[in-house]
Amino acid sequence: MKRVALRHLALLFMATLVGLTAVIGGFAYLKSRELAALVAQYSATGARRELDAHIARLADALHKRGEALARWDETRLQFVSPEYYAFWRTQRVRDSGLLPAGAAVELFRPGGEALASPRFIPPGRIAGGAPRTFAAQSGGRAWLFHVVAVHSDDNRQALLGYGVIREELLPAVRQGNFHFIDPATLDFALADGEMLDPRALAARARFALLPREEQRLYERLLTQTVLGLSGILLFGAVLTFWIVNRLLVKPMRHLARQIERMRANEGTPLRDLAKPLRVVELEEIRSSLYEYQMQLAELHGTLAIQNQVFRTQARQDALTRCHNRRAYEEDWSRLVESLPAAPQDVAYLLFDCDRFKPINDTYGHAKGDRVLVMIADALVMALRAQDRLYRIGGDEFATILTHTTAAQAKQIAQRCQAMIEAAPFAELGITEPIAVSIGIAVCPREAPERIAALPKQADIAMYSAKQPGHHKIVLYDEVARDATDTLVASRETSALFQALAKPGMIEMAYQPIHALPSRRLDYFEALARIRYAGELLMPQGFLPVVASRRLEAEFDLAVLMAIEGDLESAQLPAGCGVSINLSAQSLARPEVVTQLLELSRHADRHPLMLEITETSLITQIEDVRSYLDLLRSSHYKIAMDDFGTGYSPMRYLVDLPVDSVKFDISLVRKLAEDDRAARIVADFARMMADAGYALVAEGVEDEAVLARVAALGFAHVQGFLLGRPMPLAALAQHCARAQP
Amino acid sequence: MMVWLLMLLATGAHAERVRIVVRPGIDASAEYTPGASGKPAVLLVHGFLQTRDFPTVATLANALADAGYPTLAPNLSLGIPNRAQSLACEAVHQHTMEGDSAEIAQWVGWLKARGHQRIVLIGHSFGSLNILAYLSGKPDPAVRGFIGASLIEAQTDERRRAELLATLRERMRADNAALVRAPLSFCKAYTATPASLLSYLQWDRQRTLAALAAHHDKAFLVMGGADERLSARWLEALGKAGARVKVIGGASHFLDGEHEFDLIDATLSHLALFDGKR
Repeated sequence: MKRVALRHLALLFMATLVGLTAVIGGFAYLKSRELAALVAQYSATGARRELDAHIARLADALHKRGEALARWDETRLQFVSPEYYAFWRTQRVRDSGLLPAGAAVELFRPGGEALASPRFIPPGRIAGGAPRTFAAQSGGRAWLFHVVAVHSDDNRQALLGYGVIREELLPAVRQGNFHFIDPATLDFALADGEMLDPRALAARARFALLPREEQRLYERLLTQTVLGLSGILLFGAVLTFWIVNRLLVKPMRHLARQIERMRANEGTPLRDLAKPLRVVELEEIRSSLYEYQMQLAELHGTLAIQNQVFRTQARQDALTRCHNRRAYEEDWSRLVESLPAAPQDVAYLLFDCDRFKPINDTYGHAKGDRVLVMIADALVMALRAQDRLYRIGGDEFATILTHTTAAQAKQIAQRCQAMIEAAPFAELGITEPIAVSIGIAVCPREAPERIAALPKQADIAMYSAKQPGHHKIVLYDEVARDATDTLVASRETSALFQALAKPGMIEMAYQPIHALPSRRLDYFEALARIRYAGELLMPQGFLPVVASRRLEAEFDLAVLMAIEGDLESAQLPAGCGVSINLSAQSLARPEVVTQLLELSRHADRHPLMLEITETSLITQIEDVRSYLDLLRSSHYKIAMDDFGTGYSPMRYLVDLPVDSVKFDISLVRKLAEDDRAARIVADFARMMADAGYALVAEGVEDEAVLARVAALGFAHVQGFLLGRPMPLAALAQHCARAQP
Repeated sequence: MMVWLLMLLATGAHAERVRIVVRPGIDASAEYTPGASGKPAVLLVHGFLQTRDFPTVATLANALADAGYPTLAPNLSLGIPNRAQSLACEAVHQHTMEGDSAEIAQWVGWLKARGHQRIVLIGHSFGSLNILAYLSGKPDPAVRGFIGASLIEAQTDERRRAELLATLRERMRADNAALVRAPLSFCKAYTATPASLLSYLQWDRQRTLAALAAHHDKAFLVMGGADERLSARWLEALGKAGARVKVIGGASHFLDGEHEFDLIDATLSHLALFDGKR
């Protein structure tokens, strides 16, 4: 069914009214035409009647004038003393008022002779009996004549003669008070010399009818009535349309629009529904909608508050109440996106608590947490009001300082350090000094493209600050300058960066590891080399650059890619395992773990082992642990590399799922000596072997040491004594030679 | 006065219309009431250009007829056959004082022919002058008395009377009959032939008083004390002429209104002098 808008219905109503007005007007017009025809007929009849009556009155008046003339003494005088007749007929007759203007009189003897030279002679015979009146055409004009006998006395005993009055017909007739005839158009069709009874004159009359005043009045009244009625109807229609539009259509459209907006979830401002409506039914709908909207608004408000709470909670660190990593990533993304459009100086500060792990281990997690809270509080107090502090790792905090130059950032960093130094850690029973290392990276407004590198640069700077003997606040630019002097310009740095950017430059060397006491070749340790400018760079040349640049993960990924290629090449004899060196930082990176899982497909052919160097601090030990569990389930063995150097080896042994422990070459060499240190190492090795760890000795270069480690229960051994690192191509031959 | 009112209501005399031919083609009529025997016949002459129907004359005629006096009230023809209407000043007047006197003489003769041997002439205004003119001619011996009400001379612009008279006479001599317009009596522009105007204008104050003096024994004048039409010291002059003059205080030239009765009383009183006389 086709729907019709209320507005269109109102328009239809208005159009109907207009049409009705037109019909009424047309009907009135037709009736007025009929009336006009009737009036014309009535006027024609009336005109004849009034002309008859008027001519009769004229004739009667003429008759009376004739009688008066005949009785007038001076008329009789003219018959007996006609000497002054001319004076009488012109002057006296006029002065007496006996005749109307334009009329004339002549006297005639009984025989019909004129008393004096006449001005006119009536047609026909003058002498006769009774007075008579007639019309005649003479000289091109129509006249009325009246002939009356004049006697010497009232008894009419002696006839003196005749008096003839002549009056021009048209002026006399036209003086009449006509209702129907237009006197100016009146005329009579008389032949010259023709005499006519006045009663027959009307039939000879030609005239036009006067416009009927009453008809005109009626038509005007009718027109005014129709126009007035039309005006009232039109006004009523427009008024009705306006009222309907204002009271019904607009409010209903408004309500419909609000409902549509509600349906489309666009949201309706409450004020749009707050104004009461005049129509009761619409007002009920509006008030219902308004109340419904109010309830929705309250509900939305509650939801918004809750959303805000959730959002805040989701972006707040539960421990320190500062912003968490999610908030950090959102704010950072927003800043990176907006910076090109609004360039500004941005400083990035990375805070890391020195020696937090020992503190945590020494005083427990509760106090460790308290330390973190106090550090966070101190940093928040040191920062400016608009600055946000983010906890992005265990004891790692960061802040992004907008509109801040390097100098200002350094001042803020110094203030942070001062606040932390002033923090009452002693109240927690912690006697060791607690400090933070602060790495600062700055993106000047002139080079907004550098913004993406800030976190990395700050990390490098912070790493530099961590180094013993370094200042605790380090600006990345200063590190880069130093690196320019020492590292960046070196061959190894160039080689490293090129190798990371270009696959194939990293070549793997494999050093055999033999099982004890059989000395059977068990697996190879994969050792990275960089082919650069025609020569092979050794790890001691580029690994410091990796560390200084915090490129451990990137480098390890490149190494894994190279090993992947080697394993795919099938040049490694089946059954020979491969031990892969990984930095602790890489183990916390999902992409590295993913690559390792991808590599595990070779585990059936080549047993795989991961050697985790512990020269670097593992800050995300929980993540690392879970990843290691995952890798072990994928047939990886876990070895702790370089045991005896670096950070907290005992902690790692306790917390991480380690299968083997590789004693650092410095400890192995101690075994060759006969002193206390050798005894400690030996005792330690025995203890760990007893604990179930498979021990690996590296750097064995002579038989004495080999025998010694074998005696101490080491499961594997490697060193120049048994085999130097060799290229992949030499492995097959080496394996053939080594196997009995 | 009340006595006459009762008489008017009680008697009711019947008048008859009588007619004479004053000259060929011109008849004149009069109302005649026979009256009682022993009473003198009264001939009433109306004023200038008027008729017997003029109220002063008609009232007096009725009163006298009712009192038993034979009365004859003619219309002077003024040259018009059976004149029945007063004549306008602007009409062409060809009548003369002499013509008027001749008609009075004819009516006196008519009365005598009816057997009235004692005749009293009563005139009003110019009619009194007409009677004086008649008396100045050859009055009939039967005329025993003359009662002149509001007697007046033929008035005109006195400063131009002599000049006008001379002009009229000159025209008469030259036989110039062109119409003349001049003030005469109450007419501001009396239109007449030179003969007509001259005949009346000759009756100036002196001629009138002289005529009155000549017939003072017959004359009894009834004048209005408030008559504004009279010339200066006219009443005094009338008295000096020897006539008996009755002045009705407050009465106008027409002696109308309440003064009608004074006029009638005075007239009847004077007529009583002629009752029973032979």
